Amino acid sequence: MTTPAPVLVLEHAGRSLAGRVIVDALDLTLDKGEVVGLLGVNGAGKSTTLRLIAGVLSPDRGRVRINGCELDEHPALARRAIGYLPEDPPLYAELTVVEYLRFCGRLHGLSGGRLQAALERAIERCDLGEVRRRLTGALSKGYRQRVGIAQAIVHEPDLIVLDEPASGLDPVQALKLRELVRSLGEQHAVVLSTHLLSDVAACCDRVAVLHRGRIRHQGRIHEPGSAGRLRVTLERAVEPADWTGLTGVTAAEPIDPRRWRVQPAAAGGPAAIAAAIVARGWGLTELRSDDIPLEETFLRIASSETIAEADLPVGSASA
Amino acid sequence: MSAWLIAANDWRRHAVQPFAWALAAVVLALMAWQFLVALGAYLQLAPKLGALPNAPGVTDLVAIPLLRSFSNLLLLIVPLLTMRAFAGERQLRTLPLLLAAGAGDTRIVLGKFFGVLPLALALVVLVAAMPLSLASGTSLDLGKLAAATLGMAVYAAALVAIGVACSAWVAQPALAAGLAVAIGGALSVLDLGARFEGIGNSAINWFALPTHLEPFLRGIVASVDIGYFVLICAVALALTVRRLHHLRQVP
Repeated sequence: MTTPAPVLVLEHAGRSLAGRVIVDALDLTLDKGEVVGLLGVNGAGKSTTLRLIAGVLSPDRGRVRINGCELDEHPALARRAIGYLPEDPPLYAELTVVEYLRFCGRLHGLSGGRLQAALERAIERCDLGEVRRRLTGALSKGYRQRVGIAQAIVHEPDLIVLDEPASGLDPVQALKLRELVRSLGEQHAVVLSTHLLSDVAACCDRVAVLHRGRIRHQGRIHEPGSAGRLRVTLERAVEPADWTGLTGVTAAEPIDPRRWRVQPAAAGGPAAIAAAIVARGWGLTELRSDDIPLEETFLRIASSETIAEADLPVGSASA
Repeated sequence: MSAWLIAANDWRRHAVQPFAWALAAVVLALMAWQFLVALGAYLQLAPKLGALPNAPGVTDLVAIPLLRSFSNLLLLIVPLLTMRAFAGERQLRTLPLLLAAGAGDTRIVLGKFFGVLPLALALVVLVAAMPLSLASGTSLDLGKLAAATLGMAVYAAALVAIGVACSAWVAQPALAAGLAVAIGGALSVLDLGARFEGIGNSAINWFALPTHLEPFLRGIVASVDIGYFVLICAVALALTVRRLHHLRQVP
């Protein structure tokens, strides 16, 4: 029995526009059932990378493979396996939601009973039932975004590419959208671009940090061994030796003298650690989960001025 | 399949927007007014014409001038119908939907072409139906009228293809319309200087649109004239496919 090809493979893909390198040396592999967050500051090259993956833009070096099929050589076949939501949902304002989604489904080769079933499924998954007869031009930003996602999933593609799907949404809408992306990730491969760490933490299995057109870091969101790790912020500066023998702590790593990353012992948990810190009079101001050491990584990469500075020794190159 | 799907989607979008209807209403009102003025003039002349041997009939004096006048108007209205074919999609940022779909560039371009062509042909048929309505009261040269209508149809198709190409070339619909008017106008007056000099069979005459439309309006259907308009369509659509391919390289 042969192993199925990864849904998406980017092999050293790059793209220059007007003589300027926009993205370069992109290597990324994605399997079904995975959600990868493409994280980067504005102008990092996220949208260009997603356009390369979606087949809207051709790479001028490297390769893009969808289900083992080269996008440049078999564009029609490969594109059928992709659902793409650009940064601005591509909606025809004069069509109703149902008319629009029916057009998108047909455009991807669906017809008859299959089309109707896919349409109903997309409407249900994106919770569009109450606006199905409304013109897309008359919808709120949140609904427009959901219709955009519905068009990307209506043909049940293997790969779903979402460019800043939560942009402009209110907190409630953003929460619902994250749940939707999470559920999509169970059956599809999803690439999601965002500049929000919270989106990545909530929706993604893996993250790729893009900076100045290159992937500087790839890794899992929940690294092995990081489960249950805590972030502690204190009023007083303490030394590493001060943590020795503290109840409930097996290891402590400084971020700075007032902020620490702490590995709790199996017994006791956060409550025991909080009690021990208070008892020592260190002035506990914050105690929270630290499953995402990503924040420092991202900020370090994002604030780096040069490419060499941005290259990280830890967790880089491959997931 | 995808080409018809894209065309049908464009028809639906045209049908639910007031623009195409308003444009059609204005054009038909204008042509109806011209038709009635020409008919009135013909009725005044009719007693005198009756006395002449081989006098021109209502087809030559009303129907053909009406279609000739409409051919000039098409130079302006077809670009208004085609301007949003691609430039509108780019302006509304909906083009990625088509580019990311499984449809190839050629099908997308054909879809856009056939999305506008029926509107232009409908206008041609409606304008041609005006003199045809006289058939119940007078004898029309139906063969000449049919040839002229066919000529107008292929002429309109060529203008649609030029308009679609212009719409792919620029990102602003108004600019696309302006460019299409300029190209259509240039192809119409290309041989004006030569004709003033009395030259009618040079290469420059061959490239001009009226050189190939006029035979149809005189009731002559020649394959060379049909071939010319088909060639214009093919070149314009091939350039559009190329442009769309280029848009995938440089957005």
